[in-house]
Amino acid sequence: MANRTDPSAKSIHGTNPQNLIEKILRSKIYQNVFWKEQCFGLTAETLVDKAMELDHIGGTHGGNRRPTPFICLVMKMLQIQPDKEIVVEFIKNEDYKYVRVLGAFYLRLTGTDIDVYRYLEPLYNDYRKLRRKLGDGQYSLTHMDEVIDELLTKDYSCDIALPRIKKRLTIEAIGALEPRKSALEDDFEEEEEKEDEEQPMDTDVGGHDKDYYRAQSPTKERGRDRKRDSHRHRDRDYDREYERDYDRDRGRGRDRDRDRDRDRERDRYRDYGREGGGRRRSRSRDRKDDGEERRRRRGRDRDRDRDSSGSPRKMQEPVKKKKEEKKKEDGTDHPDPEIAEANRIRASLGLKPLRP
Amino acid sequence: MIEVVLNDRLGKKVRVKCNEDDTIGDLKKLVAAQTGTRADKIRIQKWYNIYKDHITLQDYEIHDDPKVRKDG
Repeated sequence: MANRTDPSAKSIHGTNPQNLIEKILRSKIYQNVFWKEQCFGLTAETLVDKAMELDHIGGTHGGNRRPTPFICLVMKMLQIQPDKEIVVEFIKNEDYKYVRVLGAFYLRLTGTDIDVYRYLEPLYNDYRKLRRKLGDGQYSLTHMDEVIDELLTKDYSCDIALPRIKKRLTIEAIGALEPRKSALEDDFEEEEEKEDEEQPMDTDVGGHDKDYYRAQSPTKERGRDRKRDSHRHRDRDYDREYERDYDRDRGRGRDRDRDRDRDRERDRYRDYGREGGGRRRSRSRDRKDDGEERRRRRGRDRDRDRDSSGSPRKMQEPVKKKKEEKKKEDGTDHPDPEIAEANRIRASLGLKPLRP
Repeated sequence: MIEVVLNDRLGKKVRVKCNEDDTIGDLKKLVAAQTGTRADKIRIQKWYNIYKDHITLQDYEIHDDPKVRKDG
């Protein structure tokens, strides 16, 4: 039968190698025309010829999830199970990039952790363009090293769930592999020296773990993070200011309500001033105590002046207002909890809120 | 805002609130959020018409409470 695995084939990851591709996708491949016509009775040699004719990678596409020839050939390789030498030959060949990707994909599915890292990491240096077919049928541009990165870091690619491999750090820790030496290491060290001279503004610690694991130059990412997170950085300081003030002024939480309820403000102030220990009792007193802050806050709303405790407030007020407005636009504060929940999910997916 | 009912004939019946001008692709994402299947594994069809991702519910004339079938 055409769909049976070669009886002399070994089991991979404890299962029939064809089971590495899940049932739905497997059935789709078996019913596919390319599989039935071209992949019948292929051997390792004739498989190479078919692989050379590939011109795109991808999983499934279209409304009924048609498989691509790439995936059909992956399935065929799982079925006939070529030797490791042949797969390594696929990977080593320089001329046909799609053959390379095919070999790399097959190795990622079937090889041991150490083999995967050993043979796939040199492919990071290959930056040739590849054509990828997306789920909606359109093509997109990607590069060989991006695809390899996806194979090594993600656990789902081309509609196939990739088997778990140990993290590189773990394998280095047990000594089976050398720490990764990047081809860009010299450039990276130059950048590092330049970075150390500048003011380190980036406090994104999470990014560092990712960089170490992938052993790519973190400077590019740091630059990106800096631009992206610069407004967030300010907000973090803003929150820290808030917390510090909380320790100093006990009734901190009430201050926020104060912004909204102007009417009750004066009364609250009077009580608060008595508790808080004199910071806000009267304007003259304030002027004496926080003369400098007063000067800086001149021209702003009196109430707000009394609330704030430092100059960073100037920038933070409009930011806080923007945050509140944005929240309302998302619709996540809808009175009906079901709709609020639905809007929250929509916002996380990037959709606009529900319109009644 | 309309509420669409999707059934996969295997036990998953899901009610999703969405706008009429959401596309089928958006509806798939909402269904994925609710059922846990991956969005790109979902196929939405009515009888045997498979619905395409880029067309809005309004254009498919999906109104409140129709019977639309979902397939994994």
